[in-house]
Amino acid sequence: MTALELRQLRKTYRSRGRPAVDAVRGIDLELRSGELLGLLGPSGCGKSTTLRMIAGLETVTGGDILVGGASVVGRPAQDRNIGVAFENYALYPPLSVAENLSFGLRARGRRTRGSRDDIARRVAEIAERVDLADILQARPAGLSSGQKQRVALARALIREPDVLLLDEPLSHLDAAQRDTTRRELKRIQRDLGHTTILVTHDQEEALSLADRIAVMKDGVIQQLGTPYEIYDSPANVFVADFVGEPAVNLLPGTATGDGHVRLSGTVAFALPLKVAEGREVVIGIRPEDLELSGESGVPARVTAHEPLLESGIATLSLEGVARPLVVLTGPEARLARDERVRVTADPALTHVFDAETGDSLR
Amino acid sequence: MTGRKRLWGWLADAALILYFVFALFPIAWMAILSLKPADQLFSTYFSFTPTLDAYRTVLGDSEGIPFVRFFVNSLVVSVGAVALSLVVGLPAAYASARWRFKGSENLMFTLLSFRFAPELTVIIPLFVLYQKLGLFDTYVGMVWVLQLITLPLIVWIMRSYFADLTPELEQAALLDGYTRKQAFFRVALPLVKPGIAAVSLLAFIFAWNNFVFPLILTSSQAQTVTVGALSFLGGDRPKYNLTAAAALVSVVPPLLLALTIQRYLVRGLSFGAVKS
Repeated sequence: MTALELRQLRKTYRSRGRPAVDAVRGIDLELRSGELLGLLGPSGCGKSTTLRMIAGLETVTGGDILVGGASVVGRPAQDRNIGVAFENYALYPPLSVAENLSFGLRARGRRTRGSRDDIARRVAEIAERVDLADILQARPAGLSSGQKQRVALARALIREPDVLLLDEPLSHLDAAQRDTTRRELKRIQRDLGHTTILVTHDQEEALSLADRIAVMKDGVIQQLGTPYEIYDSPANVFVADFVGEPAVNLLPGTATGDGHVRLSGTVAFALPLKVAEGREVVIGIRPEDLELSGESGVPARVTAHEPLLESGIATLSLEGVARPLVVLTGPEARLARDERVRVTADPALTHVFDAETGDSLR
Repeated sequence: MTGRKRLWGWLADAALILYFVFALFPIAWMAILSLKPADQLFSTYFSFTPTLDAYRTVLGDSEGIPFVRFFVNSLVVSVGAVALSLVVGLPAAYASARWRFKGSENLMFTLLSFRFAPELTVIIPLFVLYQKLGLFDTYVGMVWVLQLITLPLIVWIMRSYFADLTPELEQAALLDGYTRKQAFFRVALPLVKPGIAAVSLLAFIFAWNNFVFPLILTSSQAQTVTVGALSFLGGDRPKYNLTAAAALVSVVPPLLLALTIQRYLVRGLSFGAVKS
């Protein structure tokens, strides 16, 4: 069942004396009920604007938003039943955690408005779910970022929204809290089964949490797919570059007659598919798909090696190629500067893009 | 290091005490003046038998000058002006902090210009208008004209308080099912209470201290203490002790107000900590 649908959704900001800005340029999305979709993109790509339009905090320039099959465009935020956990938590400072949670339930005219007992019961219930029981009486100022994030999530969930929107939920947490909160988030979302959009610029967050990911740039969805689809077959140079850490090696070259791409006079890599001879392409090889092999392979010189204990990142220079080649090495690698090595790439894992458009040739 | 720090501490204290003496000297001088018997007013030594005669005269309306009335007028007019400015100014400040609309900046600037345009430039036309409209020497007229002073102050200061609040707080309330109006009254307004306290006090002091407007726009009915206290200097010979007593009495309301809301004042000045 489709829980949320965006049809050709557009947003243009106009202000006097300045050219109009197209923040969102015609987005189509469909979310199945209970699905968690990650909206991933760099800042300014329109992902937050999209989220705010769904929530009703931003007017819609064009297109439609359907929640449970009915259009909500033009309806004020308070009539949409959409829960948002804001990036900065937006917790009400003078109220305790419990009061923050019940604040929404006490709104006048709310459909789900209940009796005092009912409210107390639901606060206790959600506190149990989101693990807030022991901080219910605390004020937001005294909480850690992870706790604040959980309270913000609980507040969005307590009204049983049709759609849950998470705006950069982990960006303000330190590394340790991020890991635990991410796991919590996944568990809670699975348990409660809310249709969820997660807006983030952090690929790790999107890859680990989302069922599907929509990668956005300049107000347009570049690719929509499962995390593996996005990672394994990026639709264009931008997606390949944005997803993956360390970032993919993007190397421009010319296709040869024998199924290779020539990067320079002496350096060539095998292509996974047929490309017309002489065509200008960009190949993308992920650092983790490259291997340092003893005998065969492309000769290269080590310019730097960062051992990261469980792995290592080697930066190589290829003869006649301006861009460095980054290779993820195993923990056993011991590389010295200026050491001569040979590097091989699995053609099946090599991505090929058109040099002009950046689109995948696959 | 610590010795040096301590020395600076002492110097700072000394400077503050010096300033304290300097600032309080006129008030002390007036207090002495108001307590002196009438025949010793111009003596320059400080030994005299204190008397409350001046206060009795001033508060007993005995010189034919209705000081108590002036005092009540001042209270009514100042409180009224601040109250009206809050009712009008808080929503205005909120709106201008949250939304850019056509002409909003011009509107705000116009409002601000009321503060730096000297009152004297508009006082004559205002006087004529007030005569014609029947607002001369009335409470309504005074409260209205004092908006020139209190309203810009309240709107501009409160605007920055509202701007300091993250809009997400109200947006969260909207999503929770509250209306815009409820979000303003139940979310935004309670968070700027310290600011409201601070700005109300300031506005009250400015309204209370105003001299030109009541001087020109009132005569006997709505005249305030600032002008009224001057009456003691008129007549056949200036009664400095009465003037001093009147002035000291009229310091009391702003002082009391400042003391009662002091708690909020400190919080109001250290605001901006609401952001999470």
